[in-house]
Amino acid sequence: MWRKFLRNRHLIKMVNNIGKFLISVFVLSVLVFTLSRLAPGDPLYAYYGERVEKMSVEEQDQARERLGLHAPLFTQYVRWLQRAVHGDFGISYQYKTDVKEVIAAGIGNTLLLGGLGFVLIFALALFLGLFCAWREDRLADRIVCRIGTVTSCIPEFWLSLLLLLIFSVWLDWLPSSGAYAAGGGSLSDRAVHLILPLSVVVLGHLWYYAFQVRNRLLEEVRADYVLLARMKGLSGRQVLYRHCLRGALPSYLSMMAIALPHILGGTYVVETVFSYPGIGKLAYESARYQDYNLLMVVSLLTGTLVILCNLTAQLVNERIDPRMGVRSASAGGEVRRL
Amino acid sequence: MDVLTVKNLSVSFFRPEGEIEALKNVSFTLQEGEILAVMGKTGCGKSVLCKSILKLLPDIAKIKTGHVYIRGEEITGYSEKQMQGLRGRFFSMVFQNPMTALNPCMSVGEQIGEMVRLRHPELSGRERKMRVAELMELVGLDHAGERAGQYPFQLSGGMAQRCVIAIALAAEPAVLFADEATTALDVTVQAQILELLLKLRERAGMSIVLVTHNPGVAARMADRVALMRDGELYRIGDVEEIFEESTPN
Repeated sequence: MWRKFLRNRHLIKMVNNIGKFLISVFVLSVLVFTLSRLAPGDPLYAYYGERVEKMSVEEQDQARERLGLHAPLFTQYVRWLQRAVHGDFGISYQYKTDVKEVIAAGIGNTLLLGGLGFVLIFALALFLGLFCAWREDRLADRIVCRIGTVTSCIPEFWLSLLLLLIFSVWLDWLPSSGAYAAGGGSLSDRAVHLILPLSVVVLGHLWYYAFQVRNRLLEEVRADYVLLARMKGLSGRQVLYRHCLRGALPSYLSMMAIALPHILGGTYVVETVFSYPGIGKLAYESARYQDYNLLMVVSLLTGTLVILCNLTAQLVNERIDPRMGVRSASAGGEVRRL
Repeated sequence: MDVLTVKNLSVSFFRPEGEIEALKNVSFTLQEGEILAVMGKTGCGKSVLCKSILKLLPDIAKIKTGHVYIRGEEITGYSEKQMQGLRGRFFSMVFQNPMTALNPCMSVGEQIGEMVRLRHPELSGRERKMRVAELMELVGLDHAGERAGQYPFQLSGGMAQRCVIAIALAAEPAVLFADEATTALDVTVQAQILELLLKLRERAGMSIVLVTHNPGVAARMADRVALMRDGELYRIGDVEEIFEESTPN
């Protein structure tokens, strides 16, 4: 049975990937757990607020014991891990309710903002990258490059404030904060609340990725095989779409996977500025108020997503670019790696 | 009949540091079914000559003077669109390094099939596959069905060059440019590829411009030899004539 298993390359690869994933999540949990507790500040403030200042030292010690914060770091981690594997992540010190409930309330909003932003960024980046590569060094390419460079240099928090000032304060066209109006929640209401945060997420990241796509495509355009493709009688645009794009796609997909934390980070900043009730705002608040349990789950959730995306990108890359995968060579089933 | 005529062709590269004359008043003719070897040192303008005729030069290069005719029709002023109609139909080319000339992300069958589809859009998918297999067998690639699914990195240099030749043949060209087509290959494979080109010339009746810096290859393959130096084509004549006159250093 073991021999059969060892011969099945796909199965070995899958087990290998699952192993890598579990190890990465474990290391991440240890790091976040340790670093959050080494950070200055007192988690009792998150739980008791200003009342902590009126508590005696004994009362504070008792409160720490109740919250499980008195034990050594290692013991705390083992206890947390034991509970976590059973799906119990504890309570949020700040919200005084189950961490899962706090996360559940915000995750939909973040997925909507981050997901839409992610899709828009990469759809537009591909379009702009292709357009600029096709019109390389001509007027249209130069104009797009200039505008893109300027927009990508504007910090997200500043762009957020600028858009707020223009569209919410001066023009009063769009709401300045939240994910929906009080008592609202209709589709149009949510869409209107999404416009400003989404614009910042997209504008803040778009050019960086569009420029990468443009440059990657231009690298392909200069490859030798393009000459053969042109020799076949294909037009410049056909060569770009049929040949160069194919060569650039693996790095585009890797970029998408690597971009996830980048865009997610941007979403978190935007959520904070627009008081958008999502995971980003929770991440910021949990780190600020030493809400350890919440911080652990937010970090692990984000980290898991990033690791999963990286593994997915690797698998997709292997499908698109055969050189990246493990394939049997022509004759003897010999394995080649690049 | 002259299938290709080049008259006083001058090409320059305009770089920020100044103009570089790559071709100076180059003139020659190529007859139907003829093999013309273009010889000269590296950098003398052999490849630029081929690419100038095909208008595949980079933007910084300009044809300053001269005329190119195919079967008596001038193509010097042809637009990019018109040239696209000639490339892959009238002209085809085999490149020096087959491993980089083939798209690494496309199977060889797909790459040959693309040329077949462009040349014969009327063929069905099945007929196209059959034509690809036929071409692969013609250039000496065995197990065509299996090979068609392979990627360039899974082939040896010789096999990859055969695929490039199969692509060139799929175009059914009147003129084939072989730009140092055997330089990147070892001696045995070189001989096989040259033999293949000769066989294909006989079979398809196409003319070949064979760019090489190997006198042995030129002597074995060519009907006539053109010698180039510093962008000038300074001597052209029959193989015997050229090699009898030349004295080895």
